[in-house]
Amino acid sequence: MGTRAVEDAGRDERAGKALAATGVTVRPAVPGDAVGRVRPRWVVLPETAGEIAAVMRVSAEHDLAVVPAGGGTKLHWGAPPSRCDILLDTCCLNAVIEHVAGDLVVRAQAGLTLEALREALAAAGQELALDVPVPGTTVGGLVATALAGPRRFRYGTARDLLIGITVVLPDGTVARSGGKVVKNVAGYDVGKLFTGSYGTLGVVVDATFRLHPLPADRAWVTAGFEPPGPLGDADRAAGLGAALAAVSGSQAEPSAVELDWPDPDGPCVMAVLLEGTAADTRAAAVRGLLGPDSDLRPTPPPWWGRLPEPPAAQKGEAPESRGREDEVLLELRITPPRVPGVLAEVRRAAGDLGVRAAVRGAAASGVLHIALHAGTDAGTVPGTDAGTDAGTDAGTDRGTDGGTDAGAAARFVARLRAEAEDGGGRLLVVAAPEEVARRAGRWGRVGALTLMRRIKERFDPDGRMSPGRSVGGT
Amino acid sequence: MSALESLTARLRDALPPDALITDPVRLRTYECDGLTVHRATPGVVVLPDSAEQVAAVVGLCAEHGVPFVARGSGTGLSGGALPRTDGVLIVTSRMRRILEVDVPGRRAVVEPGVTNLAITEAVRDQGLYYAPDPSSQQICSIGGNVAENSGGAHCLKYGFTVNHVLAVEIVTPDGEIVELSEQDAGYDLLGAFIGSEGTLGIATKITVRLSRAPEAVTTLLAAFTGIEAGGRAVSAVIAAGVVPAAIEMMDALAIEAAEAAVRCEYPEGAGAVLVVELDGPKAAVDREFAEVERLCRESGAFEIRIAASAEERAAIWKGRKSAFAAVGRISPAYIVQDGVVPRTALPGVLAGIDRLQEEYGIRVANVFHAGDGNLHPLVLFDDAVPGEEERAEAVSGLILDLCIEHGGSITGEHGVGVDKSRYMPRMFSADDLDAMQLVRCAFDPRGLSNPGKVFPTPRLCGEVPGVRRGVHPLVEAGLAEQF
Amino acid sequence: MDPELIKDCVHCGFCLTTCPTYVLWGEEMDSPRGRIHLMGQHVGGTPMTGEMAGHFDACLGCMACVTACPSGVRYDRLIEETRAVVEREHERTPDERAVRAMVFALFPYRRRLRAMRLPMAMSKRLQPFLERVNPSLGAMAELAPPAARPVRLPPLVRARRRARARVGLLTGCVQGEFFPQVNAATARVLALEGCDVVIPPRQGCCGALSVHSGRPEEARRFARRTIAAFERAGVDAVVVNAAGCGSSMKEYADLLAADPAWRERAERLRTLDLAEFLVRLGPVAERHPLPVSVAYHDACHLAHAQGIRAEPRELLRGVPGLELREIAESAICCGSAGTYNLFRPEPARELGDRKAERVLATGADLLVSANPGCTMQIAAAVRRAGKGEIRVAHTAEVLDASLRGLDPGALGRAPRTGRAKARAV
Ligand SMILES: Cc1cc2nc3c(=O)[nH]c(=O)nc-3n(C[C@H](O)[C@H](O)[C@H](O)COP(=O)(O)OP(=O)(O)OC[C@H]3O[C@@H](n4cnc5c(N)ncnc54)[C@H](O)[C@@H]3O)c2cc1C
Ligand SMILES: Cc1cc2nc3c(=O)[nH]c(=O)nc-3n(C[C@H](O)[C@H](O)[C@H](O)COP(=O)(O)OP(=O)(O)OC[C@H]3O[C@@H](n4cnc5c(N)ncnc54)[C@H](O)[C@@H]3O)c2cc1C
Ligand code: SF4
Ligand code: SF4
Repeated sequence: MGTRAVEDAGRDERAGKALAATGVTVRPAVPGDAVGRVRPRWVVLPETAGEIAAVMRVSAEHDLAVVPAGGGTKLHWGAPPSRCDILLDTCCLNAVIEHVAGDLVVRAQAGLTLEALREALAAAGQELALDVPVPGTTVGGLVATALAGPRRFRYGTARDLLIGITVVLPDGTVARSGGKVVKNVAGYDVGKLFTGSYGTLGVVVDATFRLHPLPADRAWVTAGFEPPGPLGDADRAAGLGAALAAVSGSQAEPSAVELDWPDPDGPCVMAVLLEGTAADTRAAAVRGLLGPDSDLRPTPPPWWGRLPEPPAAQKGEAPESRGREDEVLLELRITPPRVPGVLAEVRRAAGDLGVRAAVRGAAASGVLHIALHAGTDAGTVPGTDAGTDAGTDAGTDRGTDGGTDAGAAARFVARLRAEAEDGGGRLLVVAAPEEVARRAGRWGRVGALTLMRRIKERFDPDGRMSPGRSVGGT
Repeated sequence: MSALESLTARLRDALPPDALITDPVRLRTYECDGLTVHRATPGVVVLPDSAEQVAAVVGLCAEHGVPFVARGSGTGLSGGALPRTDGVLIVTSRMRRILEVDVPGRRAVVEPGVTNLAITEAVRDQGLYYAPDPSSQQICSIGGNVAENSGGAHCLKYGFTVNHVLAVEIVTPDGEIVELSEQDAGYDLLGAFIGSEGTLGIATKITVRLSRAPEAVTTLLAAFTGIEAGGRAVSAVIAAGVVPAAIEMMDALAIEAAEAAVRCEYPEGAGAVLVVELDGPKAAVDREFAEVERLCRESGAFEIRIAASAEERAAIWKGRKSAFAAVGRISPAYIVQDGVVPRTALPGVLAGIDRLQEEYGIRVANVFHAGDGNLHPLVLFDDAVPGEEERAEAVSGLILDLCIEHGGSITGEHGVGVDKSRYMPRMFSADDLDAMQLVRCAFDPRGLSNPGKVFPTPRLCGEVPGVRRGVHPLVEAGLAEQF
Repeated sequence: MDPELIKDCVHCGFCLTTCPTYVLWGEEMDSPRGRIHLMGQHVGGTPMTGEMAGHFDACLGCMACVTACPSGVRYDRLIEETRAVVEREHERTPDERAVRAMVFALFPYRRRLRAMRLPMAMSKRLQPFLERVNPSLGAMAELAPPAARPVRLPPLVRARRRARARVGLLTGCVQGEFFPQVNAATARVLALEGCDVVIPPRQGCCGALSVHSGRPEEARRFARRTIAAFERAGVDAVVVNAAGCGSSMKEYADLLAADPAWRERAERLRTLDLAEFLVRLGPVAERHPLPVSVAYHDACHLAHAQGIRAEPRELLRGVPGLELREIAESAICCGSAGTYNLFRPEPARELGDRKAERVLATGADLLVSANPGCTMQIAAAVRRAGKGEIRVAHTAEVLDASLRGLDPGALGRAPRTGRAKARAV
C-alpha cells in the first residue's frame, strides 16, 4: 500500500465515522448502487430535511461527492458523475405533507412515488396533470429530470405546475422558495432552477404542485399516416403536417397530440387525447379532421405515455427492453410545424447511416424522443454501405460497448442536431454509452452556458453535487 | 468627475443624441412608475433603439460601476422601476417592433417595449391571441410583464407570463447578449429570469407563445347580498371540477366606485358581484355554464346576467377592469394592495380585513381574482386628514401579515419592487433569501442591475452566507455599502 | 393649471398608447402622463423652461388621452390652462412668432380667408420654395385644398316634410370657405329629415382655434358673438358639422364661467354634432342604396372631445349597400389637430403619413370624416405617398347622396371639375 492509499483509507474512515455520527441510516454501497458505472461508497437514507442537511454538512467537511436518487429509474440518464461518494436515497421521504383539495394544491416529499401521489389525489377527484411516468418515479426525480409526457401540450411540464420547493443546498442550508399558493411572484423562483438540474444544485426535499380536477371523461382518436420522407416525397410529409396543424389548432381543445413511429420504413400513428366535459363530442370533431379511417377509443393505445422502445437489430424482431446501460435515447425539441420535415430527415439519416430508430412523442409540442439501436454488425443492417460517410469508418468506429456502432450513432446525432438547430431547435442526448456521448456531445447548443456554469459555481462551489452530470460539466 | 459624469460623456458617444436625456426637467418625468409614493430623479435616462445599444449602455455601466434600472411603460405597482439618482434609467419605450409572427408555429418574436395588447392586436385576424392579460394590457410592456411575471384575470385557466414565454434574449449585467430558451438543456434559467424584476439583466427580445382564440366564450355576472355568499359560489364551482377562464369578485365599495366611474350598472343592492367567464369548445362551455349558473343560484345569487354578445361581455367586464382607477372617484387617495391566500382561507382573511377597517377607521374596497385567492384590497384614505395616510399604510401592511399568516404570499402579480422588500423576511427565512441571493450573484456579482429592489439588505456576492468574515473587498474599495 | 386637476392623475399610464406624440417618439415627456407631470413641476415652482414649453407645444390637443383615462382626468382643461401660461410666460423665437401671428390673423376671419384662396392655390406651385423658407409655410401650401366654387346658403332652409325641429347651422370658417358643399349637404339632409334650418348670415368664427392656442380673450369674444347670433335665430338646437367647432361650442359655459350672465346664456344654447343630432332625431327620410366602401376616420374633436364614435357609424351603416371599414389605430390623431400642422409641421406630417398608410390599407373607395382639417391632412399625406387624389367626403355628403339617390361615383370628387379619376384608394 502506498502512502497515498493509506491517506485515502484514513480519510474514508474519518468520513464514514462522521456520517455515522449524524444518526442518519447509512449502509455501505454495493455494485447495484452504481450511478452510470461510478460506484459510491455509502448509501444514506435520510428521513427529514434536517438529516439531509446533516449529510450535506459532512460532505462539505470531508469533500464527499453526493448524488441524490429517487426511484433510481433514470440514474443512468445525464452524464455519469465524475465522482460519487454518497448516494442519497430519498425513498424514506415519502409522505404527502399537505393536500388541501379546496385549493387544488399538494405538497409532497421528494421520495414519494407518483403512483402513491396519484392514489392520494384521486381520492379527492384531483390529479397532478403530469403523465404517469415509469413505475417508481419519484417527485424529486420528476423535478430533477424535468421530463413530461403527452399532456404537456395542455398543462406544460413540471416547471409549469411546480409552485413551491424546499431544497437542501450543498453546504447544508435548507432553503425554500415559492409557496403553497398558485399565484405568487415574491422573490426568485429557485424551484425553476432545480427543474432539469439532475441533482447538481442540491437535494430536493419536497415540492408543491398545482393540481387539476380529474377529467370526467376521456377519449382517444387515432389515425395512421404514411411514413414521412424520404427525399422528394413532400406529399407524405404534407399529409402528416396538415393533420398535425389541424388537430393542434382545433377548437376541440385536445390535451395531447402524440405520434408513434416505431420503424422509419413503416407507417406512423397519431393519437389525440380529449378530456373533460363533452370529450365525446369533441373527439368526434377531431375524427372529422383526421378522416373516416381514424378510430375513436375509450382507452389509450398501448404505447401511450411511454418512451420509445429501442428497435431490435433486425427488422421484424421484437423491440429491446428499456433501461439497458447501452441504450441511446435522444430528445428532439423543435417548433411543431417542423415535425414532418425533421422526421423525414430522421428517416434519411437512419437509412444513410445504417441506424435503426424509433420515434415517439408530443408532436404538437414539438418534443419527440428517439431511441436508437445503433446497429451491431454492419452486414445485417440495411444501408450501412449506402452512404459514403457511413461506410468509410464503420469498421474503425465500432464502439467497445456491446458491439454498438458508436460512430454511426454519433454521426446520426450530429446530422439530426444540425437539422434541428438550423431552425432554432435542439437535439439532446438523454442517455447514451459514454463513447457515443463523448463523440456527439450530450447537450448541443446551450445559449446560456456561461450563466449555467456560474449558477453551479455559486450553489456548489466545491463541485460536490452530482459533479459533471449536467450541461457544460456542471 | 463622478463615475456617472464620466459615464454620461461616454454615453454621448455611444448613442444618437435624442436617445440620451440629461435635462433635469425632463429627467424628473421619469421619477416614478405606477406607484408614485416612491420617487427619485434618475441620473440620466437613455432611450435605446436596439439590443446592441442596450448592451453598449450596460457594458459602460459595468465598466464605470454605475447602477442601472430598466423601465418599460412605467405602470409597475411596486416601485420596481424606481430610478437611481446615481444611475442610468434604461427605457425600452422605443424598442417596440414586432419582429416576427409565425402563425403555424404559434409564436411571435417581439422587442421588450411592445405592449401586451399590441401582440394580440397583431395576430387577432389569424384567430390567435397572447393569453396573459393584466388589466394594464393596453399599455404595460412585454418586457415589464417578463420582469414581473404578470398575470391577469384569465390566468386561472391559462397561467402567467412564465407559461407563455418561450425564449428571452437578455443583456446580462456584464453587457453581454445571451439567449435563454426553454429548449436549452440544463437549468431553467428562463424560468428563473421571468419574475426577477429587472435584477438579473434586461430583456431585449422576447419570444411568446400565441394561443388560439377559444371557440366559445360565455360570461356571467352574479349578484349576491354579501361577500360570503359569493365566496360560497366560488368554492362550489371549483369543487364541481370546473376550471373557469376567470372568476372575479368585487365587494360593495368597489362596486360603488366602478358605478361612479363607468356607470357599469351592476344589479341594485348587490353586496358582492361575481364575474365568471368560461371559454373553450362550445359543447363543453355550454354544459359547464349551466352548471355554474345553477351553483351560483344555489349559493344565493339574487340576480344573474348572462352576456349574449361581445358588447354585453364588455359591459360586464367594464366595471371590473376599471375598478382600480375608479376608486379615485370615491376617495381622494388610496393604496392598491396585492396579496395572495389559499382560496380556502379567503373567508378568514376577509373577516380579518373587516376587523382592521373597524379598528383603524379606514375603508377598504375589495377586488379580487377569487379563483386563485389573489386579493387586491384598495385601502382608501384622505390625505388632507392628518394621520389618515399613516393609518391606511398600517392597514395595508397588516393585510399582508394576514396573508402570510394564512400561508399566502405578499404579492401575486405586482411584484416586490422597492415597496415590499421589507416584507420579504416575514415570508422567507434568511436562508431562503440567501439561496435566492446565489442566483443574483451568478447573474450580477457586482449588484448593478436594479439594486435595492426585491431583497431587503442583500449580502454581497463575495460573502459566504452564515458567519460574516471581515470587511468585503467591495466595501473596502468604496464600491458598495454594507448594511 | 389647477393643482387639484393635476392630482387626479394616478400615473397609471393608460393614456400613453393613444397619444400621437408618444406613438411617434416614445418619450415620457411627450406623453399625457409626462405632460401632466411637467404641469405639476411648474405648479411646484419649476419655471417654464424652453424644454417644458416645447413638450406642451408638441401636444396636438387631440384629447385621445381624455377618452383613454379611467380616472377621469380633465386633460382638456389642463392643457388649455397650460397653453395660456405658456403664451404668458414663454418667449418664443421670432420665427415661431411670425407664423403664429399670420395664422391668427387669417384663419378665424372668413373674409380674409376668402381673399387668401387664390394666393394659396398659387402657392402650391411655390411649395418647395416655401418649405425651405419655413416648414410651416410649406405645410400651409401643401394642405390647401383646391379653391371651391362659393356656395351661398339662404338664411332659412325649410323642412321638406312635416317639421320636427328648428335648428341653427354653424357654417364654420374653414368649412365654410373651403368646403361649402358640406354645409349645403348638411342643410339638405336636415331639411329632408324634417328640420327648419336657420343659417344666421353674420356668424363668425366659433373661437375654437383661439381656445386651442392659448388665446382665451380672443376666444371669449368669438364665443359671445356666436351665442348672440344663434339666440337671435330662435332655434331648438345648434347643429355643427365641424368636429373642432362643435367641441369648443360645447365648452362655452366653461370658457365664459367668469361672467355669470354669459355663462347662463352659454348653458342655454344646445349644441349638438350633426351625427349626434340625427341619431337622436331618428331617420324618417328614405335611404337610397349607395354601393360604396367607406373608411370612416374618427376626428379627434368628435371621437375624443365629444365622445361621438358610434353615431356616425350608425348613420353610415344605415345606408343600404354601403360597406363600412375600420381604420387600424383609429384612436390616434392624423396630425391635423387644428393649427398643429401649421405650427409643428414635421410631426404632423409623420402622423399624417402613418394615418394615410392605414387608410390606404383598408382599400375602401371613400374616406369619410367629420372634420375638414383631417380630410385635408390625410389627402395631403396620400398625395405625398404618390398615391394620387384620395376620394374624401363628409358624413353629411354621404347621407345627402343617399337621401337624394345620387350616384356614389360622384362622392368625394371635386364637383368643380367633375374629372373622373381612377379609384384613388
Ligand atoms: C420508459 C420511460 C417512460 C417515461 N415516460 C415519462 C412520462 O410519460 N412522463 C414523465 O414525466 N416522465 C417520463 N419518464 C421519465 C421519468 O419519469 C423520469 O426519469 C423520472 O422522473 C425520474 O425519477 P426517479 O425518481 O426515478 O429519479 P432517479 O432516476 O433516481 O434520478 C434521476 C435524476 O434526478 C436526480 N434526483 C432524484 N431525486 C432527487 C432529489 N430529491 N433532489 C435532487 N435531485 C434528485 C438524480 O440525481 C438524477 O440525476 C419516463 C421514463 C422512462 C424510462
Ligand atoms: C391600473 C393598473 C392595473 C394593473 N393590473 C395588473 C394586472 O392585472 N396584473 C399584473 O400582473 N399587473 C398589473 N399591473 C402592474 C403592471 O402593469 C405590471 O407589473 C406590468 O408588467 C409592468 O409593465 P411595465 O412595462 O409598465 O413595466 P415597468 O413598470 O416599467 O417596470 C416594472 C419592472 O420591470 C422591470 N423591467 C421593465 N422592462 C424590463 C426589461 N425589458 N427587462 C428587464 N426588466 C424590465 C423594471 O426594472 C421594473 O422592475 C397593473 C398596473 C396598473 C397601473
Ligand atoms: S391631447 Fe393628444 S397629443 Fe396631447 S397629450 Fe393628449 S393624447 Fe397626447
Ligand atoms: S390615464 Fe389618466 S390617470 Fe392614467 S396616467 Fe393618463 S391621465 Fe393620468
